[in-house]
Amino acid sequence: MASSDIFAAVDFLKREGEAALRRFVRTHRGAAYAEMRFEAMFHRSASANDGDQRDSAESEAAAFGVTVHFEHRGGVVGHGQTGAEIGRLALNRTRLLAALDAALGEAYARARFSAREKAAVLKHHGAAARSLMRAGAIAPSTARDEIAATFRRDPRTLDPDELKRLCRDASASIAGLGPDIAFNAVAALSELRQELFINTAGALISQACAFAQGDCYVVAQTADGHQESYDTIGQQRGFECLAEGWRDELMPNPDLPTFAIELARETRELAAAPALKPPAGEVVVVTNPHFNALVAHEIIGHPCEADRALKMEAAYAGRSWFLPSLEHNEIGRPVGSPLLWACSDPTLNGYGHYRYDHEGTAGRRVTHIEGGVFRGFLNSRATAAALGVEPNGSARASEAWHVPLIRMSNTFFMPGQSDPAQIIAEVDRGYYVCGHLIPSIAESRENFRISARRVYDIEHGRLGRLYRAGSVIADSKSFFSKIDAVGNDLRMVAIPNCGKGQPMQVKRMSNGGPTLRSRARMGGG
Amino acid sequence: MRTAVDLKKFVREAAALLARERDLAAFEVYCSSSEHRVARLNYTSDIPSRGVEEFKSLNADGFALRLVMHRDPHETGSASEAGDLSLEAVRAAIRKARDATVIDPHFPGLPAEPRKLPPSKERAPASDLMRAKDAPIAAAAWATIAGAISAFESHAPLKLPHPGLVIGGDLSLIRDRIAIGSSAFTDIRGDESAHFVSSVTALVESLDAKGTATAAGASLAEMSRAGARLGRDAVTRALKLRHGERPPAGRYRVVLGPQPVAEIINYMVLGSLTTGAFYSATSAYHGRFGAPVIDARLSLTDDPLAHRGPVRRRVTCEGLPTGRTAMIRHGRLVGLLSNFYDSHRLLTDEHRAEKLGPDAGTAPSFPVRSGYRLGESPARRYDAHPGSTGTNVIMRTRGGVGDRELVEVVGDGIYIGRIWYTYPINGQRAGDFTCTVSGDSYLIRNGKIAAPLAPNCFRLNANIEQVFAKPLAVGKRSETAVVWGAPEAYFVPALALEGIELAQVGAADSD
Repeated sequence: MASSDIFAAVDFLKREGEAALRRFVRTHRGAAYAEMRFEAMFHRSASANDGDQRDSAESEAAAFGVTVHFEHRGGVVGHGQTGAEIGRLALNRTRLLAALDAALGEAYARARFSAREKAAVLKHHGAAARSLMRAGAIAPSTARDEIAATFRRDPRTLDPDELKRLCRDASASIAGLGPDIAFNAVAALSELRQELFINTAGALISQACAFAQGDCYVVAQTADGHQESYDTIGQQRGFECLAEGWRDELMPNPDLPTFAIELARETRELAAAPALKPPAGEVVVVTNPHFNALVAHEIIGHPCEADRALKMEAAYAGRSWFLPSLEHNEIGRPVGSPLLWACSDPTLNGYGHYRYDHEGTAGRRVTHIEGGVFRGFLNSRATAAALGVEPNGSARASEAWHVPLIRMSNTFFMPGQSDPAQIIAEVDRGYYVCGHLIPSIAESRENFRISARRVYDIEHGRLGRLYRAGSVIADSKSFFSKIDAVGNDLRMVAIPNCGKGQPMQVKRMSNGGPTLRSRARMGGG
Repeated sequence: MRTAVDLKKFVREAAALLARERDLAAFEVYCSSSEHRVARLNYTSDIPSRGVEEFKSLNADGFALRLVMHRDPHETGSASEAGDLSLEAVRAAIRKARDATVIDPHFPGLPAEPRKLPPSKERAPASDLMRAKDAPIAAAAWATIAGAISAFESHAPLKLPHPGLVIGGDLSLIRDRIAIGSSAFTDIRGDESAHFVSSVTALVESLDAKGTATAAGASLAEMSRAGARLGRDAVTRALKLRHGERPPAGRYRVVLGPQPVAEIINYMVLGSLTTGAFYSATSAYHGRFGAPVIDARLSLTDDPLAHRGPVRRRVTCEGLPTGRTAMIRHGRLVGLLSNFYDSHRLLTDEHRAEKLGPDAGTAPSFPVRSGYRLGESPARRYDAHPGSTGTNVIMRTRGGVGDRELVEVVGDGIYIGRIWYTYPINGQRAGDFTCTVSGDSYLIRNGKIAAPLAPNCFRLNANIEQVFAKPLAVGKRSETAVVWGAPEAYFVPALALEGIELAQVGAADSD
């Protein structure tokens, strides 16, 4: 069995961490608050290319992030953070506490530097800089809880050769489809994480989770064309989800070899299909759950992040079409058809499941759109204060050494009443758009172009010719407002790589939706 | 950060330990210490904000081993450990690497460069950023905020009740050190680098105005100057762009400024210029190695030793000397970024002739100069695998013209100064891309800059051939451009183009 000693550091910090934080705040003048996020992780992975083993890895990791608030004269507050990957140093309790103390010292110094510089700007600019004095936050969490991971096959006892074989065999079966397959890569991982959140207000939360993920990338080329496709399956479970598949109503997946070969067959078929040459103007589009997962991600999830809405991401990933300003925004206004409902729910079993966020706030369902009316944002404690609402537990870091940002959990369009087959059958002329590939969205997510894996003609209620290189182009509000049918076939998919922040944090989550019918322009290739 | 002496000492001791393992035919020890310090800016005039939202550091030290087993030259395993540079940690990593071995029939062995590197290849950089503390970073970040507020205040007529002034961005200091040793080297090799990047966006929402300013450099003095300048520059540009026009959709003649050109190269071109992309049949230049692929006035190189480049590297993360790679020379594809594995893989590929194309010749070579181990940030990481990455990417031109002439060539059209979210919408090989025009842009009328363009009013749909194959005119000056999240720094010219499709954003909502 692989060593799991690094997880013992979590138990040690449960006993000693609170005292260390409180001691630090007590002995550093001006220190008003401190928190620590610690994480221990076991990771095993393997990959294969074109039927040959390419790589395999086992790693144990430990990391922490600390935050200190410094209160300068006149109530000016500065914030400082330090994150560090310490790995095996966590096995030595003396060195672990020393590393933690050093990091707190660094964060304290940063908070103090920042508070002093902020005080100077406030003094010089007076009223023009007044918004810097108004930043507040809801009182820190005081929650105490312990949550165990769910898995049948412990990632730490998984035979590495089984994982290697699974990838190699899946990759070999794709290569065996013939010369049309120009390249393929199959990768899989099984991981166990245990997180600890402690602050000087009294919170102590330990939560663990297991991840199993399989990725497949296929390149096919024929005399007629070329296609690159990729997809991911993932669950917050053990390796059993990849070896045997997972039967779950919301987010089922086949076993990894089946998933991989199905993607490869589709990619080969697409390489032989013509590229879509779309008509001018709007057409009827029926979009399937896999495609809608990316629409939910880009056009609902990201603009529902309150840090983005409050302009904190303006230089990077943009703003939100739901909140042009505090005075003029879409809160309580229609942004779509009455058939449209959307929410984020971390309590559901999905790739974005969790019980507490990384500020110690319990996660809960947040309704974003209710019968076409915009209702609210994912938030952190600071952004909840700015918006005058309750925190809803959405501030999360991808790793403990990063600063928490507002992130999606399981974010999706909610199901309606219609039979998906009937939704298509009612269309005289249009397109059936299946599977997402690549998104491009406007700066406030008010417009998008998202490419699909497969596009079919719909003629007189029946599916016709298959095309590659098709995409849906629309203004977001227009697309949502023209939805006239919502299917009863809600499915979620694992999104393994949502990037946000500076430096970039890559986060896992789920997105999804049922079949939708609306109107949009189509893009081709 | 760990010192260079500490890293080399660890690698030497780890190598000695590995040399005693009888079942190993070859080994490599790679050790890195990296730090990313970030002061993230967030000032909003109408919404409570912190000014410097996050002032943070991310530190990562660790090492990785690669082992090759005696029983099979293609049996190789790797493992990494964070934080602990001790022989006990090396023993733990050896166990993990043995468990992780795979038999990869294409594994070419470990990189070998038997000569000792000349001292010039390991000369310590002059950058004082390697030793910079937090105080100058805090000072520069707050100077940016203060400069932006001052610039906004100085425009008295613009003192609005709800101006919606937003200052965002960051000042990032990235520094790393590495040491690498292997059974194929006679010496322990080391390198270090430090640079800063700062990107500032100013929005005045009440005026529908947006301006940006960026800087990158390798010295403390440059960083301080950037802090003093960027906030003021971004606000000044935003105010010049207030109340921009929203022209109709259509095909336009355009000038793409340096930032859009850099963004398109980063997301659409550079990934195609690697041996890995050619091997996997995903390069946009599939079958065209050695052939003309862009306009003959344009050349593209990667130069990790460029005098003015902020990213300065002398030794790759595979222990090999870095060097300038000419990728496109006068329009012709002549070189690829490569790491050791991918170079070998492509050169031994039975389908190589089809993938490279008829102009590649019978014995193409792909010098291995670009094998870097990077994570999500531009700093080198012990636990990443060597990929093929650029450093200072430079597009040079011949027959270039000045900015004024570029605008004159266009006559009537759009100057696009900033694009956003540029992605290969139909996959890298297809070359199709889409993005939105997000700011710093103008209308061109009668060969002159005539009026500001409203930010985010156009979506651009095009193919890289439309950008690089036959530009109307090329700029003569390569300017610094920063692409969010990219590990490379860019020095590129502006280009004047014909017939670029611009679709309106928001047209349907205003119906």
